[in-house]
Order: sequence, then C-alpha cells, then structure tokens
Amino acid sequence: MFNLTDLHLDALSEVFNIGAGRAAASLSEIVGEEVKLSVPSVEIRRSEELNVQALQLEQSHFGIVKQQFSGTFSAEASLLFSEESALEIMRDMMGSQMSVEELAEFEQEAMCELGNIILNACLSAMADMLVIQLESSLPTYTVYSADEVIQNIVDLEDQVYILILHINLEIERRQVNGRLIFLFSSGSLSSLRTKIDSFLQNI
Amino acid sequence: MNISTVTPTEIDWSQLFNALNIGLILVDSNGEILLWNEWISKHSGINYLSAINQPLELVFPEKLPAPFVAAIKRCINTKLPVVLSNALHKYPLPLYSPQKSDEKLSQSVILNPIKDNQGNWNCLIQVTDSSASIKREKMLRDHSETHKKDATTDPLTGIYNRRFFDSHYKIEMNQAMRQKTTLSLLMLDIDFFKNYNDHYGHPAGDAAIIAVATCIRTTMKRSSDMVARYGGEEFIVLLPNSTPAAAQMLAENIRSAVEDLKIPHLNSLIAKHMTVSIGVSSFLPGMVVDATTFLKNTDLALYAAKQKGRNQVQFLPL
Repeated sequence: MFNLTDLHLDALSEVFNIGAGRAAASLSEIVGEEVKLSVPSVEIRRSEELNVQALQLEQSHFGIVKQQFSGTFSAEASLLFSEESALEIMRDMMGSQMSVEELAEFEQEAMCELGNIILNACLSAMADMLVIQLESSLPTYTVYSADEVIQNIVDLEDQVYILILHINLEIERRQVNGRLIFLFSSGSLSSLRTKIDSFLQNI
Repeated sequence: MNISTVTPTEIDWSQLFNALNIGLILVDSNGEILLWNEWISKHSGINYLSAINQPLELVFPEKLPAPFVAAIKRCINTKLPVVLSNALHKYPLPLYSPQKSDEKLSQSVILNPIKDNQGNWNCLIQVTDSSASIKREKMLRDHSETHKKDATTDPLTGIYNRRFFDSHYKIEMNQAMRQKTTLSLLMLDIDFFKNYNDHYGHPAGDAAIIAVATCIRTTMKRSSDMVARYGGEEFIVLLPNSTPAAAQMLAENIRSAVEDLKIPHLNSLIAKHMTVSIGVSSFLPGMVVDATTFLKNTDLALYAAKQKGRNQVQFLPL
C-alpha cells in the first residue's frame, strides 16, 4: 500500500511542473535559446521494488547530479540523464562547435549547474506551494552504471520511498528524457503527505 | 558562521577572510555589498572602501551578465545554493589576473544563502580562479587527442585503421538496425599486388597503397562516409544511408579513378596499370542480420569480383 494517493501525485505533478517552468526560464537565459522543460508523470515506489525496468531507462551509464535537502522533511534528490544525452545537452548549451570528446572535461561542473537549476527549481516550487522550509547541500556529479544506481538505492536501509519524476528537456529542438528521483524515509514521506493534504484543502 | 571553539573576540574575522585564496563577496537582498575580501580587491582593482555598502551592480565599470545577476536573486529568493560553472559562465565578474591586468580571469562561482542574526537572507558569492585548471585540461586534451589519433589511424596512409573501423562499424550497424536505415559496405583489393611488390619492391608497394588510399578518399563525397585500411592491400568503405545503387556508383567511380591514376603494373595479368576489384553489399531497412554476416557477404562480393576477372565492381545482395 503506497503512502501517496493519485490525488497527492497529481498535486505534486502540478507543483513540479511549475518548478520545471522556472528552471526552463533560467536555462533559456543562460543558453540564449528557448529551453522547454516538463514533468509529464510522477510516480512513487518502495525501494525494494526498484529496478532498471521501473526507471524505464535503457542506457547503461548515467550522469547523476545529487543534492541532499533537509528542513520540514529531508530527502536526497538525484537527477539522472544518460551519459550520452548529458553530453548532447551540454554541447547544445555551450554551442555546437565543440565535440563530445572536448566536452568531457567541462561536463562535471556544467552538469552540476544544469542539475542544480532543475533541482533547485523543483525544490523551491515545492517549498513555496506546500509552505515549507528547505535547505540544500551543494550539488555533486557522478557517473554510474544503471546497476549501480539501483544498488545504491536498494542498499539504503532507512530511505524506503522513491518518488520518480519523468523529465522532458528540449534544447535546440533536441529532446532528451531524464529522471528526477527523491528518496524519502517513511517519516519524511508522511510529513510530505500532510503538507500536500493541507495544500489540497486550500485550493 | 559558527566555529564553536573560537569566539569572535579571539579572532579578527576580516583578517581571516582576507587571508583566503578565493574571492568572497556577501550581498544583501537589495544587492548591497556587506563583505568584500582582499582577493576580490586584488583581482578587480576596486578597494574595500569603494565597494562596501554599494550595490554590486554599480561597483564595477561594466555591466554584470544577466544570468549571474538572476542567479544571485534566485539564491536569496529560494534560499538554495547555486553553482555557476565556468563552461556556461566564463566571466561572471569583471576580474583580472593581478599579473596581467589585460587578461580577464576565468572563474567558477558558488552562491550560498546566508541568514543573518535579524533573519534576513543574504548571498555569499565564492569565486575561484579556474584559469589554471583550464590550462591543464587543455594540455591533457591535446595529449589525449594525439594518442587517440595514433590509436585510430594507419601510419602509412593516414586513413583509419582496422581497429577504428571495427568499433565504428558496430556503432553504425546498431544504428542502422535501430533506426531502420540503409548501410552499405565496399571492400576493395589491389589486383595482383603481390606481383607488384615482387617486381617494383616494397617502397614502391607502399607508395602505391598510399596513392590508392588517397584516391579513395578524394572520390568519396560525403563527410559521413569513412574509409579504413583493412589489411595489407585491402580497404573498406562504410557508407551510412547509402542505397545499393548509390554504393555501386561510388564503387565504380573509385575503380575508374584508380585506373586513371595509370600506375604502371607490368606484372598484372589483366592490365598494364594498377587496378582494383571491389565488392559491394547493402544492409536494407528491416533486415535481421548480424554485423559479421554483413561483413562476410561483402567479402564474398569482393571474391566474386576477383573470380569474374578483376578490375570490376560486384554487388551481392544480403
């Protein structure tokens, strides 16, 4: 039995799409091109149910930007893009004259920035609309295989719920899909639910 | 700021900030400067007294980049830390190297939300000089490019080697299968090359191989096509999105171009000049064939071209 109902997930989807809109505006300003960002679906799972199929990501390696946040509730937020699309996004953002090889070294910091913009926008939209306080660590960037991604999550003992956001990012007519994953302890998830409940009552 | 073992009376904080080898600026929610350390003074040419309590945007002689100004606002509004990468923001602040005053400093910037004792939110701007790491990375990149080139090219002809072809072929083949597109292969062999080597000697043989490689390369039209030296006197050409007809036409162009080189070949049993035999094969959309079978079929096409008298193109459907 999941802790969040479809109604809760719909409300979160609305919140995150507002965040995605803000992130797209920030990215457009940096890139000087129209950037579109949306969150077509939000789902919740328990960590033991998580596998590569559940993430619906076929690629073998991922670039992951991670931030820990705390406050009214705490969670770990990770943004995943396939390594290939991460590089393609970076190439589009920095101007197409660079080769994928050349980009490799800029990748880390620039991916941190891209992830930071998207994560912060989603976190702050959540903070604003659910009226909560959130603090966050600085982002870190790592490259993991699909199995490592799953294993790292399954290995966690106290973080049992996973909120999965499907992310569509479009830069220069190129469309890439990513995932934003929030890891919640059951305590944090129930605080989140309480906050969504009061948000829904106030609509 | 909270360092529990040291009380503010024991240490002069400004001394500490000024000793840091990174730039620190603290601005309040109106953008006014509350802290401006020595590093920033040194790299901006603007001293503490002219900067403190002034709006950040008016302190510098030039306009600050809009994404940087927006990021500071976002940091204070969302109370979340912000990363500004050097790749996307080369010069967020107009800072210069203290040694070379005309050289703008490459920077990486981190913004942190900081709450003061009255509960107001400020933004701490941390600036690091990234020019040294950029220089180092550029050097590493140059080195790795040299190595990569060595590993993928054939030293004699300068075209790709077999190793590069093998990996590139697999990628192209997977892509053709996934995207249901056409992919054509040409396999090419110099006719009676052993006889040529025996008669003219190895240096002349090498020169002939270079001449044929150059001839193939100049006859190919599209940048997506690639040619590799596959064996001693054997070449392979990979043609993405090329129909059987187009591939055969290119093969015929290569064959006649080599013939037109008029490289004397007295020991050829079929002509007075150097000639080539070419096998052509095409992978068509929707086919279910593995990469090895496709390659073998092209080799069979080449075999047929030789069997039928050499100096010709033979196409063998998959």
